[in-house]
Amino acid sequence: MVKQNSRAVIFQERKNSGLEKLEQFAGEFPEVKEVWFATDLPLKDKKNLSTRIIESGVEKIIIAGESPGELKSFVSAALAGAGKNPEDISLVSVNGTMLSDGDLLSVFKAKILCAVKDVHFELASDPPENEVNKKTLVIGAGIAGIQASLEIANAGIDVTLIEKTGTIGGHMAMFDKTFPTLDCAACILTPKMVEVGQHPNIELLTYSEVLDVSGEAGDYTVKVFKKTRRVDLATCIGCGDCTAKCPVSVPSEFDAGTTMRKAIYIPFPQAVPNKYILDGDNCTYVQKGKCGVCAKVCPVECIYLDDKDETIEIKVGNIIVATGFKTFDAEKVERFGYGKYPNVLTSLEFERLLNAAGPTGGSIVFRSKDKKGNGIFEANSDSPERIALIHCVGSRDENYNTHCSRVCCMYSLKMAHLVKEKLPDAEVSEYYIDMRSFGKGYEEFYERIKKEGIDIIRGRTAKVEEKNGNLVLRSEDIEGMKIIEKEVDMVVLSVGLEPGEDSQKLAKSLNILTDDVGWFTELNSTNQTVNTVRGGIFVAGVCQGPKDIPDSVAQGSAAAARVIQSVINSKVKRGLSDLSYNDIETKVNELISTEE
Amino acid sequence: MSTVVNPDLNTKLVKFGNKSEWNECYHCGNCTAVCSLTEDENLFPRKVIRQLQMGLKDKFNSNIDPWLCYYCGDCSETCPRDANPGEMMMSARRYLTSVYDWTGLSGLFFKSVPALIIAFILVAVSVIGIGYVKQFNPESVMEFGHVFEKMIIFAVVLLILIPNIFRMFWLTILKEKIKAPFFLYVKGIWDLFVHMFTQKKSLKCEKNTFRWFEHFLVVIGYILLLVVTVFFNWFSTENPYIIWFGYIVGGLVFIITFDFILGRIKKNKEISKFSHPSDWLFVIWLFLMGFTAFIVRILIDTDLISNNLWLYIVHLIVIAQWGILIVPFGKWTHFLYRSFAIYFANLKRAGLNR
Repeated sequence: MVKQNSRAVIFQERKNSGLEKLEQFAGEFPEVKEVWFATDLPLKDKKNLSTRIIESGVEKIIIAGESPGELKSFVSAALAGAGKNPEDISLVSVNGTMLSDGDLLSVFKAKILCAVKDVHFELASDPPENEVNKKTLVIGAGIAGIQASLEIANAGIDVTLIEKTGTIGGHMAMFDKTFPTLDCAACILTPKMVEVGQHPNIELLTYSEVLDVSGEAGDYTVKVFKKTRRVDLATCIGCGDCTAKCPVSVPSEFDAGTTMRKAIYIPFPQAVPNKYILDGDNCTYVQKGKCGVCAKVCPVECIYLDDKDETIEIKVGNIIVATGFKTFDAEKVERFGYGKYPNVLTSLEFERLLNAAGPTGGSIVFRSKDKKGNGIFEANSDSPERIALIHCVGSRDENYNTHCSRVCCMYSLKMAHLVKEKLPDAEVSEYYIDMRSFGKGYEEFYERIKKEGIDIIRGRTAKVEEKNGNLVLRSEDIEGMKIIEKEVDMVVLSVGLEPGEDSQKLAKSLNILTDDVGWFTELNSTNQTVNTVRGGIFVAGVCQGPKDIPDSVAQGSAAAARVIQSVINSKVKRGLSDLSYNDIETKVNELISTEE
Repeated sequence: MSTVVNPDLNTKLVKFGNKSEWNECYHCGNCTAVCSLTEDENLFPRKVIRQLQMGLKDKFNSNIDPWLCYYCGDCSETCPRDANPGEMMMSARRYLTSVYDWTGLSGLFFKSVPALIIAFILVAVSVIGIGYVKQFNPESVMEFGHVFEKMIIFAVVLLILIPNIFRMFWLTILKEKIKAPFFLYVKGIWDLFVHMFTQKKSLKCEKNTFRWFEHFLVVIGYILLLVVTVFFNWFSTENPYIIWFGYIVGGLVFIITFDFILGRIKKNKEISKFSHPSDWLFVIWLFLMGFTAFIVRILIDTDLISNNLWLYIVHLIVIAQWGILIVPFGKWTHFLYRSFAIYFANLKRAGLNR
């Protein structure tokens, strides 16, 4: 039996202080005869490893690393070469860069323990279950949060939905059409928004943020900062008299700054709740104590100018995080002239122009100036005749973000199509690095757009300059083998997606992990896609990584499924971070003794 | 026509450079588009990287494009993959220099620092040996020095530079079967000399104006220093105009090259971030040449030269190392290859458009 117990551990990555701890740990098992680092093995030399295997009498090899499967075929061949069973390999995924974290070190140790003892980690690391508070919290009311809330509420479970802005809907509410089906985004979203607003099981907290989370799986206490709307939701009739009289105007967040709004406003006509908000940061009365005209004209006296913000506490059993994203700040890429040339737009601004319910009623027009010199878009302005779309702005770029934002290729194609629909004589060109049309029906959509008379050019645009009143962009046409210096009237920058501004803060208060970009980390990217290291806390939507609307909806439903499962069972599994090494060791020993 | 793929091309070029990140390139075309010098017929640096990655050695060896780049660094600064295309072009120029050189010594000196050091020491020892033979008599040593300067210019031009330019012509034009009308060969000559002495083309790089001016002054200063020492015999002349003229051009050379050296130490511009041994040698020896010439003439004017002949010997060593090693086999050749590249590129363009 001794023979069967001799194992070797191969660490995939180069030795560092974290791996050194694991090396020492692994070496202490009586079963482990050898600990090797793949970087020290001559990786081209299978014979060398075979000789080592024979010399040390090792029967089974454990490969530990970030992607241990990469080494499997090499090790397997070496085992066969040594006359051993080539299938006697265990793969352990440990992340060398995350080893500084105390919790994770014990998790990785436990994984190695299980591999050495031939016990499935999933069996041994089955965390105990807690009683669950049935009430669920969803943070973020974009499409993923809305979907999750509705799924849970429709199962008869109480949901509190928290939204930072004054209305639910998120980014999707700003879009005109969805790709690849060209469905009207609002036609899909607004009924869901209304359903959320009217659902008896959903408590909606707009204009609110999570401050702090304490407790454990099944019993979390969440501190919520409720900013005052200064308008009573129950009595406001949404007449709009206050907005008409308000003297302050600031760029509208919902319209991505393409138009102005008042200090007391409703984000957009279909907002839920469809009531006014007083933006204290920009209100003359709140800031300087003068004005107050809105309160005077309000026919139902529902404006309370001196209302204060409050902090409330709610108790929930499960939490779904669906906080979404922010778009890349295009001003960082000076070469494209965003912020300098008025008719260089971000895709989000352009999306608002295309939208029939947007500031221009769906006409694509040049930027003009209002009386105070703000650059806005007005329906009666002239339309551009030549429009260029530049892909990958702030994505796949070592100078900004290295990740692919996944949606830009497709939304750019969609925009090109919509331009052709609205301005059939317009000259539309797109400049891309690689066309990533990966989803169902996406490649077909791309083929369709190609036939619509749009110049789709392989080559990243390097700069946009203004010459004689025209925008001139310079790009290499890689397939046409030439340099393009093209005059256009309007440039649209397809900006990428970034983690939301407060995501790090939120991750800290939730005690969940983020990756190096700042996306929330799921427990396992293949089979625990919505779980986090903490039990009862799930992620959905873009806050976990860039994705499009169908994927966000799917993930929202998936997270909801986990919550519903736990409420039906009245139990919630604690997370991996709640388990100690000793817990797992006890369980391993238990499993081994029952086997015998 | 068949194309030979040579997978070693990449590793070959690595030996000529400081950075070899060009394999990171995902061919977005940003570098080619951001460059102010690219034209439809000369799509660099991306196409050069493509040839390199694919191992198209024949095409790479016949490529003129690396010489058309004046390294403003825009491509490296804005590269989304940090693939450093600007430094790749620099390595390519060193590599091509070794391809054109029929003796093979360029390649050896670019790749091997020990070989370079041995060659420099050999030259220095020979100069001291000659001084010894001449019994360190100032007059005969300086006379020898003057004759040597003329001889070495003649020999290097005839034996190395002219044959190598012909090799470049063969590789980029004849081997590629480019047929350009004869009048272009004549018409291009004026342009060739303008570019040789002014590097006019590099003015198209937006950030380059000041550097272009410095470079222009160094070229002019260097040539005039050559003329004044070799043909007007600066060290022996009594003519006060020539003496003062020599001081001015000598000073010009070493003051500006001092600024170049500082730039390479500070590394604050993209172009001076990565310095190859050949880059250091080139600027430092240019500086030493101007500086030692300046000092020697001061010693002559103050009648101190007979007691300080060693300084003239140092000057002669610097000149000999420059003339025997750096000019024919080092970075100096870019003076010719860059201007001839513009000449050949015009022929090629005309030939391709035919």
